[in-house]
Amino acid sequence: MIHYLPTIHSQREGFECLALLAADAEKLNADRLEVDFSRCGFFDANMAASLAAVLARIADNLNAVEIVKVPSAIERVLRKNGFLLAYGYSAVDDVNQTTLPFRRIQLSDKGRFADYLKQHLKEKGIPRMTDGLGKVFKQSIFEVFQNSVIHSDSRLGIFVCGQFYPQVQRLDLTIADAGIGIRTNVRRYLGTKVSSIEAIRWALQGGNTTKTGSQPGGVGLKFLKDFIALNKGKIHLASRLGFYEYCKGKETFEKLAADFMGTVVNLEINTGDTQSYRLSSEISPEDIF
Amino acid sequence: MTDEIVVRVFDIVGSPLCVSADDGQAVHDKIAPLLRDNRKVVVSFERVETLISAFLNAAIGQLYGEFTEERIRELLSVRDMTSEDLTMLKRVVDNAKVYFKNRKQFDQAWKEEVGDEE
Repeated sequence: MIHYLPTIHSQREGFECLALLAADAEKLNADRLEVDFSRCGFFDANMAASLAAVLARIADNLNAVEIVKVPSAIERVLRKNGFLLAYGYSAVDDVNQTTLPFRRIQLSDKGRFADYLKQHLKEKGIPRMTDGLGKVFKQSIFEVFQNSVIHSDSRLGIFVCGQFYPQVQRLDLTIADAGIGIRTNVRRYLGTKVSSIEAIRWALQGGNTTKTGSQPGGVGLKFLKDFIALNKGKIHLASRLGFYEYCKGKETFEKLAADFMGTVVNLEINTGDTQSYRLSSEISPEDIF
Repeated sequence: MTDEIVVRVFDIVGSPLCVSADDGQAVHDKIAPLLRDNRKVVVSFERVETLISAFLNAAIGQLYGEFTEERIRELLSVRDMTSEDLTMLKRVVDNAKVYFKNRKQFDQAWKEEVGDEE
């Protein structure tokens, strides 16, 4: 089959279009999928991670996946970040060092993510960030990645990709998985049939966690939201049929038209942020426990 | 024995990055037996650069499932932490106290998902 991919921006419509691709190819088995980019006017580089998560599931159903008719400007971006290399395209040097290259990281090899960040994050606006921002930003990224490791059950791995826009001092980083989604985790935990949106809403509340073992949870996403609020950045989260955006203190929950089979988090960071991120209230080590 | 034992997180994790629950579990597995033996434990975060909640949940939050708050307060302390990391640890500890008070029984918690439709 041929699927014509439209323009994909790093926003709700972009995730929805990728979910529609997943739905279109859901029944395809031991067949062939041609993803035709001829109708794609623009593709936000970081969304390569989300597309990769969708295509990995399709390929896992023994389908041959091809990417064809990619407009030259988009092809250049997706060769630069390495996404197209798995589809027979050659690499293009990232001369300006603005990409966080596409990587697929297996859960069993999760230590590679730290190496990836160490290698590729240092030139992406971090030097201009205050020490406090750089540190909190890294913590936030690791929180999202670790959430995926703990909760996704993504046999096909975790997909990461990012793009730095130096002119507007913005860094977009996407962490996607082809796992069970937040809805399944919350349904199993609560034992009730919540919708994808209700599940996301529940998971984002401080203290809520689907962990049931001896390790508590439910702090990471709250930390992430607090940081993004201060930074005036954005969070996008798509999981199964639910979409969430956090921007300028406003939360939006919307239903997607199709099932994004997994979870994807996109962080948009304002790298020009000059706040100190030093906390005014000092906590004494004696008051912790 | 009343001497304090210092548990150096950097040495156990082998890196300045404390960013996984697995590494947190390894630190927990050093601390918990000492507390069981009624030893005083100081957890040092010297040379640790990045710390996340999933690590602290496993390393320290988890202790509240086995030991009382009083016992932990009496035997456990931390040092060499920035004020930001102390704030994170405080959140983790406060969250752990609530988590273990309200914890569902493990066998009750995980249920089969009811259907796949939205």
